Amino acid sequence: MTMQEKKALRAQQRAEKQRKKEESYYLASQWTLMARKLGRHHLARVSLVILAILYLSALFADFIAPSNLTAYNSKAQSLPPTQIHLFHEGEFIGPFVYESAWETKKMSVKEMQAAKKAAQEAGIPFSTKQIVTDTTTPHKLRLFVEGPAYKWLGLIESNIHLFGTESGVGVYLYGTDTMGRDLFSRLLLGSQVSLTIPFAGTAISFVLGILLGSISGYFGGKIDNVIQRVIEVLNSLPSLPLWMALSAAIPPNIPPVQMYLMITVILSLIGWTGLARVVRGKFMSLKNEDFVVAARLAGVSDMKIILKHLVPGFMSYLIVSLTMGIPGMIIGETSMSFLGLGIQAPATSWGVLLKEAQSVTNIAQNPWCLIPLIYVVIAVLAFNFLGDGMRDAADPYK
Amino acid sequence: MEMNNQPIIQVKNLCVDIKTDEGTLTPVRGVDFEIRPGETLGLVGESGCGKSLTSKAILAINQKKCVSSGEILFRDDKEDTVDILTLDPRGKQIRDIRGRQISMIFQEPMVAFSPMYTIGNQINECTRLHITKDKKESKRITLEMMKKVGIANAEKRYDQYPHEFSGGMLQRALIAMALVCKPRLLIADEPTTALDVTIQAQILELMKELQKELGMAILFITHDLGTVAKMCDRVAVMYLGKIVETGTAREIYKNPQHPYTRGLMGSVHKIGTLKADRLFSIEGTVPLALNLGPGCGFYDRCLDRIEGVCDKADPALTCLGGEHCVACHKCRKEGV
Amino acid sequence: MTEKQKKELILSVRNVSKRFTSKNVCVRAVTNVSFDVHKGETIGIVGESGCGKTTLGRCIVRAIEASEGEVVYKTLAGQEVDFLKVDKKQMKGIRKEIQMIFQDPYSSLDPRMTVLDIIAEPIVANYPKMPKAEREQLVKDIAAKVGLNTTYLMRYPHAFSGGQRQRIGIARALILKPQLIVCDEAVSALDVSIQAQIINLLRDLQREMDLTYIFISHDLSVVEHISDKVGVMYLGRMVEFGETEKLFASPKHPYTEALLSAVPVADPDVQMERIPLQGEIPNPANPPSGCYFHARCRYCEHRCTVEAPELHEVDGRMVACHRAKELHLRGFDYSQASEA
Repeated sequence: MTMQEKKALRAQQRAEKQRKKEESYYLASQWTLMARKLGRHHLARVSLVILAILYLSALFADFIAPSNLTAYNSKAQSLPPTQIHLFHEGEFIGPFVYESAWETKKMSVKEMQAAKKAAQEAGIPFSTKQIVTDTTTPHKLRLFVEGPAYKWLGLIESNIHLFGTESGVGVYLYGTDTMGRDLFSRLLLGSQVSLTIPFAGTAISFVLGILLGSISGYFGGKIDNVIQRVIEVLNSLPSLPLWMALSAAIPPNIPPVQMYLMITVILSLIGWTGLARVVRGKFMSLKNEDFVVAARLAGVSDMKIILKHLVPGFMSYLIVSLTMGIPGMIIGETSMSFLGLGIQAPATSWGVLLKEAQSVTNIAQNPWCLIPLIYVVIAVLAFNFLGDGMRDAADPYK
Repeated sequence: MEMNNQPIIQVKNLCVDIKTDEGTLTPVRGVDFEIRPGETLGLVGESGCGKSLTSKAILAINQKKCVSSGEILFRDDKEDTVDILTLDPRGKQIRDIRGRQISMIFQEPMVAFSPMYTIGNQINECTRLHITKDKKESKRITLEMMKKVGIANAEKRYDQYPHEFSGGMLQRALIAMALVCKPRLLIADEPTTALDVTIQAQILELMKELQKELGMAILFITHDLGTVAKMCDRVAVMYLGKIVETGTAREIYKNPQHPYTRGLMGSVHKIGTLKADRLFSIEGTVPLALNLGPGCGFYDRCLDRIEGVCDKADPALTCLGGEHCVACHKCRKEGV
Repeated sequence: MTEKQKKELILSVRNVSKRFTSKNVCVRAVTNVSFDVHKGETIGIVGESGCGKTTLGRCIVRAIEASEGEVVYKTLAGQEVDFLKVDKKQMKGIRKEIQMIFQDPYSSLDPRMTVLDIIAEPIVANYPKMPKAEREQLVKDIAAKVGLNTTYLMRYPHAFSGGQRQRIGIARALILKPQLIVCDEAVSALDVSIQAQIINLLRDLQREMDLTYIFISHDLSVVEHISDKVGVMYLGRMVEFGETEKLFASPKHPYTEALLSAVPVADPDVQMERIPLQGEIPNPANPPSGCYFHARCRYCEHRCTVEAPELHEVDGRMVACHRAKELHLRGFDYSQASEA
């Protein structure tokens, strides 16, 4: 009897739970449904976390990076990533680093000739310089240490960095470049450019795409024809020469901020076409839906129909196609800077950093200069996966 | 003779489960029926009652997430009985049964053909696969079948593409494709729902004629009570994944017993009769086949329910005499 | 009969035509259709797919613009206007008197709005100054009237089944208290038992709110049940128009006869002999000469192949057939069926 009662009670609870779940589903708006469906997409969820990390570190890049854009150390050119140790002479003293630097080897002429021969046989360029690590003094890692001054977001002046050594000995998590600049710091500061240009660019594409797409879709006829042909012409232009021509139009020696804006404009001028197509198609199919006819019969004005029924109708698709468009923009910026058409030193971006990887010998000797590439790949993949998940979620009623 | 009157197909306690995020859906919950040679069984029910899933289970073409259990005993042309559910859905044996011995006509003739190939080509594919490898011979058989289903100018039509056919003609072509191998069982899933009445009448008559000629059994699935009355010898009424009443067409139409069948019959205005002021209607909607209680599936909407009986146990199909069987506690009580 | 004649004429469709032109091909979807609608009546329009019945319905409510003809409408205020030529300003007042119910209960509701907002939309558009509380009360009243549970109004359409969605659509059409409603295949997408619910609801609402329906459907048994008068369309033309029972009992047009004989009756004992139709519906872009039906008609004469028959009155019914007077066509035998 008690067993049965318990069973009945449990069944009742289960039914109650089910009912509540259903109720919340019935009351959920389109956006909540989409978010829920996106949450069930594993790859999209992981991508979202990765992107959040990337963007947060770009936002706080000045603070997280131990160095800044201009600082360099002539004794620390092309150093491999600094090792972080825990035990000094067999004793645990917490995380610390040893200082490494290039020093000229003192050797006799004979020794030098022998070394030269050995280097020739091994096929590596001969140099009298070598990296010397001073293992006698540990430099302890500390949080919130003072370092080069910066202005966070151009607002808050500070010289506190997330980590570093008190003595000022460099910690190069990803090694240094050929000029002795910390790659990790430059990567973070460069991501400020590389990760935000797509957003600024898509913002412009967004406006152009919606405007021209809806004009095309709503009015149809001749206007539609003209806009479609323009899109086709733009799509048929090979992007590389177009970039080159457009960047040739940018005056040299302009400040980095202006340069940044110019690049966004160039990218978005080419990028809006796909969006306009999506908008136009959605507009045309929604225009003939029964609920739009019903609204018209109810006496709702054209403008209101567009704003209340049509735009929300394709907004979700628009966001999806934007997400899918961002990787293209990231690659676009990276390629432009890689070719030297984009951001100029000392300002940096992932593309500028990859310029270091242009020579094969450099890659062979300093393989860590490829680390920015990993970042590009991860960011692009994450956006693609997120876009995939969003596309699946975009129509929550299917 | 006795041999011939044995059922072509016997479905025993067929269940189909679908696993979803919210739980296990049970759209088909124990269906039993049998069809004898030359007979037409009408499977009637509203959308979501599981009639299409039942038919697809017979051909083993349900999606992977659908799990079928029970028995589907098919008597093949060698008079051997095989349980279709035990066969590998991609295996050789089922492929031999599918298309040659059991074939299917779909609701939408427009999407049943590939737009890339000519109609003749697509019907011929069936012939070549199952009957003869000889090109000339198979084309001859195909053309013969096309003429038989009333496609005028068959030689010319053979080389035309689906978009050159009207809906009615396409449905004829589909029937030709289904019947070219002279199947023992034809499953027609809402074959005329997408067609206009005049075309629908032609197609139904054609199916009847061909049945007489070829002697196949037909499982006729529809929600339209009018076409069922015209086509079927026996009728099985489905509700929420179960057969609630079965019998000869006359028994079902003239003397419906189950409250759902009666409701269904009352819901349609019989054309050509004086109008009643209001149609009878079953209140409420069909529940989702998820986490169903122990009682009768129709309990919530039933006007004759007996509290304490109908919500406690699901009634089994019991015979009232002859072919007429019904799954209802109340009918059984009154019947005894 | 006399009672019906007393009824007020509220809508008169006169020679309405609609042509669709695309790439030099002109398709006449509706040609010269005329009929009258009296207050409180239900007019059924039947025909097979492509006969132009939906286009006609949409022209009448001005969801699309007719190419020619006029729709004389008598407003609730008693004014007679040509609804097809009403300008924007005048439209504001009249628009709400003619509403529509759609076929597909899924695409006719915006999935992004709550049911409350959907039903309230016409009110917001027509009475923007109405206070929110009053508006919501109106919505609740109408929702209760069409049989919706008013506690569910904050839900989105995806929470409702087809039948309930159709009720929402009906509530939206009724909230402005219209006089005339065009039901475009309003029950075709629904299951039989739900169909009966909605048909009963439409009938109850008609009595309660003094509504007039134009009921467009391909389902003859539904049309027979609900309509007072029926118009049969073929290839964009009205071939016959008259009182339902008379038309079903003794059709005057050969197409009507063939159509009726093809309807499957939900009774295994009633098996009508079907009158076969030769060939198929011709392409509306390239209609035959003379009577559009002549190539398929078994009573065809020479006259039918050259001269197109006009809709004219025969025994109190409108028929477009040269031989309407002489032919004795077969319909449903009501006396026999009612015994069964």
